[in-house]
Amino acid sequence: MPSHPLRVAVVCSSNQNRSMEAHNILSKRGFDVRSFGTGSHVKLPGPAPDKPNVYDFKTTYEQMYNDLVRKDKELYTQNGILHMLDRNKRIKSKPERFQSCKDKFDLVITCEERVYDQVLEDLNSREQETLQPVHVINVDIQDNHEEATLGAFLICELCQCIQHTDDMENEIDELLQEFEDKSNRPFLHTVCFY
Amino acid sequence: NKCLYEDVFSLHFEVVDLLNQAALIPTDEKLAVLKQEMIAFQTDKSIEVRKFVIGFIEEACKRDNELLLRLIANLNMLLRDESVNVVKKAILTLTQLYKVTLQWLVRSKAVSDMQEACWDMVTQMKGDVLALLDSENDGVRTHAIKFTESLIITLSPRTSDSDVPKRQEGDISLDKVPKDHLYIRYDTLCEEGKTALEKLLKFMVHPAISSINLTTALGSLATIARQRPMFMSEVVQAYETLHANLPPTLAKSQVSSVRKNLKLHLVAVLKHPCSLEFQGQISTLLLDLGMPQSEITRSTPAPREQRKRPRHEPYTEGKKIKIEPALIEDDEDKEEPAPITAPKPPAAPVAQSAIDLTAEFLHPLLTSENVANLVLISMVYLPDVMPASFQATYTPVESAGTDAQIKHLARLMATQMTAAGIGPGEEDEAGKEDGTGEDSGGKDLLIKRKLPAVMVGQAISVVGGYAEKPTTDAPAAAVKRLPEPILPSAQTKIAGASGRKKVFRLADVIQPLSDTQTENLTSKAVNRILHSEKAIAQSGMSHVRVKLLSRLVTQFEGMMKGDVLEFILDDIRTRSDLAFSLLYQEYNTYLSQLPAGLLDSYDHCLYTLLSGLQEKPEQRDGLFTKLVLEAPIITESALDVIRRYCEDESRVYLGMTTLKELIIKRPSRQFQYLHVLLDLSSHEKEKVRTTALAFLKRMYEKDQLRDYIEKFALNYMQLLVHPNPPSLLFGADKDTEVAAPWTEETVRQCLFLYLSLLPLNHRLVHELASVYTEAIADIKRSVLRAIEQPIRGMGMNSPELLLLVENCPKGAETLVTRCLHILTDKVPPSPELVERVRDLYHKRVPDVRFLIPVINGLEKNEVIQALPKLIKLNPIVVKEVFNRLLGTQHGEGASSVSPLTPGDLLIALHNIDSTKCDMKSIIKATNLCFGEKNVYTSEVLAVVMQQLMEQSPLPMLLMRTVIQSLTMYPRLGGFVMNILSRLIVKQVWKYPKVWEGFVKCCQRTKPQSYSVLLQLPPAQLTSVFERCPEMREPLLQHVHSFTPHQVRAVTSLAQSLSFHLGIFSDSASFCLFFCVTTSAKADQWPPPRGPPHAKEVMFLPGFVCLFVCLSVCLSVSVQHNSKSYGQILMKFCGLGPPTPDHHQNLIISSLSHFQQTLKISSKSVHNFLSYVAH
Repeated sequence: MPSHPLRVAVVCSSNQNRSMEAHNILSKRGFDVRSFGTGSHVKLPGPAPDKPNVYDFKTTYEQMYNDLVRKDKELYTQNGILHMLDRNKRIKSKPERFQSCKDKFDLVITCEERVYDQVLEDLNSREQETLQPVHVINVDIQDNHEEATLGAFLICELCQCIQHTDDMENEIDELLQEFEDKSNRPFLHTVCFY
Repeated sequence: NKCLYEDVFSLHFEVVDLLNQAALIPTDEKLAVLKQEMIAFQTDKSIEVRKFVIGFIEEACKRDNELLLRLIANLNMLLRDESVNVVKKAILTLTQLYKVTLQWLVRSKAVSDMQEACWDMVTQMKGDVLALLDSENDGVRTHAIKFTESLIITLSPRTSDSDVPKRQEGDISLDKVPKDHLYIRYDTLCEEGKTALEKLLKFMVHPAISSINLTTALGSLATIARQRPMFMSEVVQAYETLHANLPPTLAKSQVSSVRKNLKLHLVAVLKHPCSLEFQGQISTLLLDLGMPQSEITRSTPAPREQRKRPRHEPYTEGKKIKIEPALIEDDEDKEEPAPITAPKPPAAPVAQSAIDLTAEFLHPLLTSENVANLVLISMVYLPDVMPASFQATYTPVESAGTDAQIKHLARLMATQMTAAGIGPGEEDEAGKEDGTGEDSGGKDLLIKRKLPAVMVGQAISVVGGYAEKPTTDAPAAAVKRLPEPILPSAQTKIAGASGRKKVFRLADVIQPLSDTQTENLTSKAVNRILHSEKAIAQSGMSHVRVKLLSRLVTQFEGMMKGDVLEFILDDIRTRSDLAFSLLYQEYNTYLSQLPAGLLDSYDHCLYTLLSGLQEKPEQRDGLFTKLVLEAPIITESALDVIRRYCEDESRVYLGMTTLKELIIKRPSRQFQYLHVLLDLSSHEKEKVRTTALAFLKRMYEKDQLRDYIEKFALNYMQLLVHPNPPSLLFGADKDTEVAAPWTEETVRQCLFLYLSLLPLNHRLVHELASVYTEAIADIKRSVLRAIEQPIRGMGMNSPELLLLVENCPKGAETLVTRCLHILTDKVPPSPELVERVRDLYHKRVPDVRFLIPVINGLEKNEVIQALPKLIKLNPIVVKEVFNRLLGTQHGEGASSVSPLTPGDLLIALHNIDSTKCDMKSIIKATNLCFGEKNVYTSEVLAVVMQQLMEQSPLPMLLMRTVIQSLTMYPRLGGFVMNILSRLIVKQVWKYPKVWEGFVKCCQRTKPQSYSVLLQLPPAQLTSVFERCPEMREPLLQHVHSFTPHQVRAVTSLAQSLSFHLGIFSDSASFCLFFCVTTSAKADQWPPPRGPPHAKEVMFLPGFVCLFVCLSVCLSVSVQHNSKSYGQILMKFCGLGPPTPDHHQNLIISSLSHFQQTLKISSKSVHNFLSYVAH
């Protein structure tokens, strides 16, 4: 076991569905976890694919919830968006943008390759200071409720395994290989430095 | 863990507390105080605490540089901490403190030894951390890389085109180090910086580098390139090399991660203004990595601006000079004087890197025709399966055939060629090196690098890497493997270049080797493969090595095989895969040579491995078993080893389990294996034998093996028929008939297996009987001793055993008897068994000994009938018989109920017809009875005597028994006197033997017996006196001691009685009798008054008196029908205390006695009784 609890960040694009689902599960399992989005805006599905609901990162979940209730309560109840927002607001007040967060983590888990790229770009563009390593792992999860739940469990299992290693940095490579074989999906993995 | 957190928690409190206190003190003192408190924690048990201390050291030193002098040693200690997490933290801190120290020392005006020592230590620590690039821990390596990155930046000059992160603006770099510092040498630092870069570059091309290390290094290089553009060339080259040679150990997803990183960092480098020169290379790489051209263009800085700057920058020139030696793995940098500050004239186009040179040289050669040839040649070397990395990274070549692409291709090839140490660029290098004399060192390094690459199959990955462009990979592979095809290029080179080299022809330089040389080289080569175990294991290619070795070794004859086997046996545990591979290979060879092939080689291999394992002291890993079970064929000699293994007492179980597996899993030869196990079943070591027997018993349950085992067991037992033990029993080595006699051992040897099968298959018992009848006496005895356990195991209900008893072959009687004994030893015989034995006894073999074991199952009369025969047997046997009958066997819980009670038995003995049995045996038998005091108590004996006495005629031994009983139980005296008196009534003198005993008894029991003697008729009394004259005198005295009263009273009574009765024909004797009977009370004898008779009678003691009086009265009253005697009786009954029961009983028994002897009618008695009742 590492000597301190892992500081984990879960990142998706809007900090709504995938990262929040994982945030929910991980915090229930006692992890020191935070969640983020990397997009420039927070986007939620709208009445048509080309008409999403767009908010900025300052909008609270509560406000989004009220906004959507006002717009079309039935539609957003049916597609589960309201339910999701309801859950989110109980976890934290509003979505956070990864690029704006200067806190340090041991492990950043991204939910799709594009997000992984953005996280890497951001981390590499920061000035190096302490040279503390942060491992970034990408777990591809499709952006829907079911996949988010499955993905969150996978992330959780992964975090638990990493938390239980004696020497995370020395074993993470092998661990990820095992996970790849087990879950039959590839994980992108790299290390960056603060 | 909770505890740990609490630890840290409490530590924080302490620290907060200390800080609060410190807030009141000026800063400097504050730190000093804190320092003391904090450093105390540096050896704390908790990792977190130690890390915290490191953090403190860093902060403290940054705040107050002077503290470095003290704390650097602590950091050094923590750098060697046992926890990697502490080490990592220490590396991070050193990364910071290195810069801090350098800056402080450079600025510091004062010179002190302390400072110098501090610098020395920091330098040494720097070296230590660089060495950690080879650490076994991935995380530590990662941190070491970052340290190296920072070190390189610090130890190189910052230039105007350097990217400087804001935070690091104040950081020290080489350009701020004065050249005249006392102990910090500018040159040395500069060299150190370059060495560090070389180290990093070298680290990156390690074939087994982990993906995280690689990623980290890629990032570090990008940082270096941007902050120190002078190194950009090396960086870009390194990227190129890496791109073409991704480590073969990376998994598919890791390849994509690394490529993503490569792309990211390439873009970062590209964005730097100094990338201008490398834009071509970088964008080609980016294209290969799948980046659209548009995006590349977007990331490319506008060329104009930067073109000016670098040109005027002296460092660009310096950089150029450095580029040339900075090859991927060149370490000849040191010879370069590093003339950074003294730049060469810009017009020095020659100074290019080897890759550049080679690329330039190749470019014109890549005509369509040449390329097509290269492709054709390299087709041969294409791997069978498409490598994963190729599959993952393949992108179609869009710009094929364009000049840019050909340039890129040339460059890629040049990279490969330079890496392989060939090509004009490399020769150019070599040319330079020649002068320095360090050429050999450089070459060695190259060889070192290439060797593992080839061994781990890097060649394949090279093809994979190149295969993105089908035209490219061909030449690359060709270059690497076969130098010949590029001969034309060498020629061209001669034409254009120095001409120092001549045309290379292979045939010119080689000579055929002699046989011994060949052999020597081969075996050395094999040895090298053999001993490179660890290195290969680390690269994950062990299976290739194993396969290679086994193939090689099986193909070549000679010492090699032995060497390899020996090598395997040195550490068979870890080298078992090689062992198996070798074995299979041998077998394969054998199969391929069928039908003429010989198994010799395979046999030798298997035999050596097995016996090696067998001789090893101990292993618990089951390797032996595994080897045996997985060997394709078990040869004779291998079977011998297995046998030896089984004979080892400490491993017998494992050995036999293996053998069992063999028997079960290899049915085609199972009997051969089974035979070994069977052989072991009569092994001289007990443990081996018992284990073998246990295994055989289990196997006996399997139908297909049953017959064989049975046959073997029977054959073995059949050996007992021989007069002498056959040689078979003494091991196979002596095949002459040994004239040694049978011993217990050898007999048992023949029986072990049989006897353990017997309880499983009762039918076999008949075979034993038939062998038994034929065997000699010695063997018979041994057999009888050996069969106890199995026969008991069969039990008396076994139908086969009953059948044996029933049939009892001639000559097997002793065997049957023994069986019977074993069966009934602890348990009473079953009715079936008794029936069988009885049958046998009566109809076929009238040997009474058969009956003994079942004696308690027989009827009473049967036992009595058999008694005469039984007691004639051996005394020990007789004793056993009696034990059984009397239930005094040793066996506890033998609750068999004997058909005879002890009394019955003794009586039966007395009644044995003396014609059937001699008196001596009977006497001995009775003595046995008397020996059992617990059984024959006084009560039992009394009953026996009573019954014997009542018999008519009297048994001959009656008096013997009486005397013996008396001797055993003297308290029977009274009872015996009674017996004696009654014997007188039975006219004992008519039986000479008994009479003799009677007298003897009287003799022994005097003076008690006087009263009895006085009852004898005179003739018999005389006869007594004749026999023992010494009796006469004491008897007379006895009579004389009567008082006159007594005499008178007795006499008168007797007279009157005799007068009336006439039963005492001799009055004198009656008188005597009376006197004797009354003697005990003589003193109290009162003077006769009133009716004297009755009164005196009242005082007579004992029942004898009573008896006499009663009989007298009775007879008188009966005979004379007189009431007066009846009245006497009445009075007698009415006087005195109430008569106790036993008196009444006696009266009654006396009455019945008199009724018989005096022939009194029962009517008279009845009258008398009714009279008495009144």
